Amino acid sequence: MKTESHYKNNVFRNLQKDYRIEFRNKYAFNLSVSFAVISTLAISLTAGGAGLSVKIQAVLLWIILFFSGMNGLSHIFIRETEQDTDLFLRLVSTPETVLASKLLFNIFLFFILQIITVPLFILFLNIEIKALIAFIAGAVAGGIAIASSTSILAAITSMSGGKSSLFTVISFPVILPVLWVASDSTANSLSNADYTGCQNIIFLLAFSVLITAVSFILFNYIWAEE
Amino acid sequence: MPLTIIFAFLWAPEAEILGDTGRLLYFHVPAAWLSALAFIMSGIYSILFLRGKSNNVRLQEEKAFNSSVIGMIFLVIAIISGSIWSKVSWGAFWNWDPRQTSIVVLVLIYIAYFSLRAATDNNPKRGRLTSSYLIIAMAATPFLIFIIPRLYLSLHPADTIINSEVKIHLPPEMKITLLLSLLSFTLLFMYLFRLANRISKVKLEIQNRPEEFINEK
Repeated sequence: MKTESHYKNNVFRNLQKDYRIEFRNKYAFNLSVSFAVISTLAISLTAGGAGLSVKIQAVLLWIILFFSGMNGLSHIFIRETEQDTDLFLRLVSTPETVLASKLLFNIFLFFILQIITVPLFILFLNIEIKALIAFIAGAVAGGIAIASSTSILAAITSMSGGKSSLFTVISFPVILPVLWVASDSTANSLSNADYTGCQNIIFLLAFSVLITAVSFILFNYIWAEE
Repeated sequence: MPLTIIFAFLWAPEAEILGDTGRLLYFHVPAAWLSALAFIMSGIYSILFLRGKSNNVRLQEEKAFNSSVIGMIFLVIAIISGSIWSKVSWGAFWNWDPRQTSIVVLVLIYIAYFSLRAATDNNPKRGRLTSSYLIIAMAATPFLIFIIPRLYLSLHPADTIINSEVKIHLPPEMKITLLLSLLSFTLLFMYLFRLANRISKVKLEIQNRPEEFINEK
């Protein structure tokens, strides 16, 4: 019981630390948000009010979210190696607590990103949502799936020299099923009022659980020094 | 083992003449099967590498890499032959049915794996990073290959029907040739794999004890 509360405390402490550092110098966060805003505006402007089909709207939304996530989600680990704080983090916390806190932080970051991007997208592209609850649930489940599967890949990227273009390359094949299912879920919730999206949401959550489990098994090998 | 390979090589081309129109079948199906097999083998060697504690652990990582290099070659063969076949029978080089999608993901995983390996050159953690990546990718692919085609079965009915019809109406001669071709391709893969492994073994030996080899020269 004591170890469990200790574990929770450690995770919470790491989370607090990451939150402070990341929002003191909002470099990564600003970059992803501005990327999302710029691409939304660019699409809206170049489409010029042309009516895009429901499928295209959903695909565009998820591509914007994917690439803005790619800009922000890797920073949490890359920052540790860039500022040489990873050694210290290895000393004070166990690998599991590090991964748990980074994972929660990435989910939180992606959630904020979605809160900013999705309304903007709806506003600028004149999107009409038929099934609101399914739309929100699909977006949240997709966000959790993307954030949880990229956390471990961000760790790999940071350990291999921290090139963010590498992060995009290695994340894409892993996230592809998520993008596929999430955009399908969004498209259905935009076009069909009776759509519940249970199947897609279960798929996304099952995917996140599996990848998170694999991440916890593998993280020790990636994080620990030989 | 070498005898079997020579036997299969000499035998397989003769048998392939049997099928006139569907000759591509004997190249395309084994190549696609091998690319998936090579991927699974790289994943297994990655697990062995991460779990292993003996002194030839590095060889496991090299084996995973060798397997995926050979897999990539077969993957390219499978894609080229597949898209030619697709043009002939379905009218387009590419039409995103579930199998084509899963093969594209396989290509992307291989590309990502190779770039990760290239980026971690001279990194002491290279083996751990690339092996972990392969295992994560292997954990994600079942979703693409088995679950998504089932979720979206209604969207792609033509493909599964065509495929199952081909399987049902396959005459016994073609079946035997296909099985033989699968066998010979697998043996070819094993042969190449062993060859590549021997090269990497020698490389590792030279890296471990450079002075001996320099003296001999």
